[in-house]
Amino acid sequence: MSVTRRSLLGSALTLAAMQMFPGLSRAQARPLVYAVFTGSWEVAANEVLVPAFRKANNNAAIVLDPMLSMDQIAKVRASAANPSIDVMLHDPGPALVAIAQGLVEPYPVDKSQYYSSLIPAAQEPMGPAGFFQVVGLTYNPDTVKTPPTSWADLWNPIYKGRVGITNMNSTLGTGFMVEIAKMHGGSEKDIEPAFKQIAALKPSLAAVAANPGALASLYQQGQIDISPGNFNAIQILKAQGVPVEFVAPKEGAIGFKTTMHITKNSPNQELAFRLIEIALSPEVQTKLMEAPYLIVPTNKNVKMTGEIAKVLAKDQDDLMKKFVFQDWKTINQSRAAWIDRFNKEIAT
Amino acid sequence: MTTAATIHPLRLATPLALFFTLFFAIPLVLLLGVSLQTGEGGTLGLTQYARFFADGLGGRVLFRTLLIGLETTLGCLLLGYPLALMYRSAPGWGRSAITLVVLLPLLTSVVVRTFAWIVILGRQGLINTTLQSMGWIDTPLRLLYTEGGLIVALTQVQLPLMFLPLAGTLARIPPNLEDASAALGAGAWRTFVRVTLPLSVPGALAGCTLTFAAAVTAFITQSLVGGGQMLLMPSYIYQQAISLQNWPFAAAISMVFLAAVLAVLALIAALGRLARGAAHV
Repeated sequence: MSVTRRSLLGSALTLAAMQMFPGLSRAQARPLVYAVFTGSWEVAANEVLVPAFRKANNNAAIVLDPMLSMDQIAKVRASAANPSIDVMLHDPGPALVAIAQGLVEPYPVDKSQYYSSLIPAAQEPMGPAGFFQVVGLTYNPDTVKTPPTSWADLWNPIYKGRVGITNMNSTLGTGFMVEIAKMHGGSEKDIEPAFKQIAALKPSLAAVAANPGALASLYQQGQIDISPGNFNAIQILKAQGVPVEFVAPKEGAIGFKTTMHITKNSPNQELAFRLIEIALSPEVQTKLMEAPYLIVPTNKNVKMTGEIAKVLAKDQDDLMKKFVFQDWKTINQSRAAWIDRFNKEIAT
Repeated sequence: MTTAATIHPLRLATPLALFFTLFFAIPLVLLLGVSLQTGEGGTLGLTQYARFFADGLGGRVLFRTLLIGLETTLGCLLLGYPLALMYRSAPGWGRSAITLVVLLPLLTSVVVRTFAWIVILGRQGLINTTLQSMGWIDTPLRLLYTEGGLIVALTQVQLPLMFLPLAGTLARIPPNLEDASAALGAGAWRTFVRVTLPLSVPGALAGCTLTFAAAVTAFITQSLVGGGQMLLMPSYIYQQAISLQNWPFAAAISMVFLAAVLAVLALIAALGRLARGAAHV
């Protein structure tokens, strides 16, 4: 058989057409796409959630698409009629944005097996909160001999030139600023006192990280010794032997309800529902609670043990009492103006 | 009618032109449309542009980005030119070696190359530990998250873009021109300034254009080595588009950035036209 230029071109174009228009070649359903946070969340999903899901659903195809909350919203919004993500994972602020923009399918609560066994604060009809993220102080135990106890310790002159923060693009950065504002007479409506405090902190800052991932890696490079930080983000570093510890400040660690949502117009609605159910089940939540994932559970039937019980809260009631929860509806209204202000003060 | 064998009809470029129009020109026009949205109702206007230039923040960010781009281009020129000269006068195996060393970084992801700079410039990085072990400094220098550090990292990352056009142009300059210049009594330096340099201007311009465009839009390197305290145009666009979901404003910033970069490139091309009059083969 002689391969002529014509036949080669014909075959190449046919293959390209088959790739670009899969409906022409095979009627194959798209695998379930779960957009999980990057870092330790992706690892936890890969090692715990995905195997549990596949076991319970006849080895259904599932693909992880690691990205942060706001990136997920941008991606879904860009093709809302035919979204490329089926299940979204969100921080409290972006969750409200996603719901307001109509990107979220209401969760079928009556079909759900585990929804009613979540603690009341986690029962959100547009997407249940399967987990909590916890933000407090992180520090390097090798160089910081006495662990810090309060947010105000960041301004302690002994840490001069060794303090790290993130900018306000992320939930971590915004939540931190709101807490500082509350300590000095502000609130979710007005964080002017926080800007004054940050201006005072500026000479002490070793780095302003562009995102929470970069903040965690600053410990790895020895650039900072103390910063506000996410409890989960440092677990991966600890597992690699980087000296970093978490401590809840005495004002209360900030709790972020981390919710999972079914995307509106998703082609895999049933599988998406089943994935979220698996994430809410006591077995999976218990496994995620143990080392090295240390993700705070919201199912009442999960007994809190191990590192989480020691460092954060003894049980769900203790959790609700000790953690600080912020009003993200109010915060979302002013976020754009705050970010502009932060740009002016810190970033130029 | 016979046409010269080396002249190809313009219609051969139709597939590429079509691709370009569909996936570049049309989206650009759509982006322009988005940038004209004022945000309330369906009205169109220049509100977003006015907002960008109001109270000086946008202007400062733009100026700083363009300045970093120009400094990086200068750095690449100063480092890339001697490298290209070395390439020209190297024996066969030397040329392969230089090409390999210059192109090898391009084979790795830009994130990996940027992380290497974080390791070099960090507090416990290569430079600081070397200086400290030699006793020259007591406390580590702050090299990371500064403009200087960013320019150094960008220069290294974009160097291949300067080297390749320059080396190509220098290699095409006939060597007997320099022999002729030497025969007429010019020393090595005079030959370089009066013969080689003017003839290499087209290559240098191509290198400058590529390096400048790549340096100002290097989102990853700017973000990792510059840090969150240095707001540059790419990060500003990302922040407004993704973190704040403010697409009209982000589109306006993008259009302003595009216009500014095109203006600088037009300036570089104009300089080239001036210099080209100085020498021709």
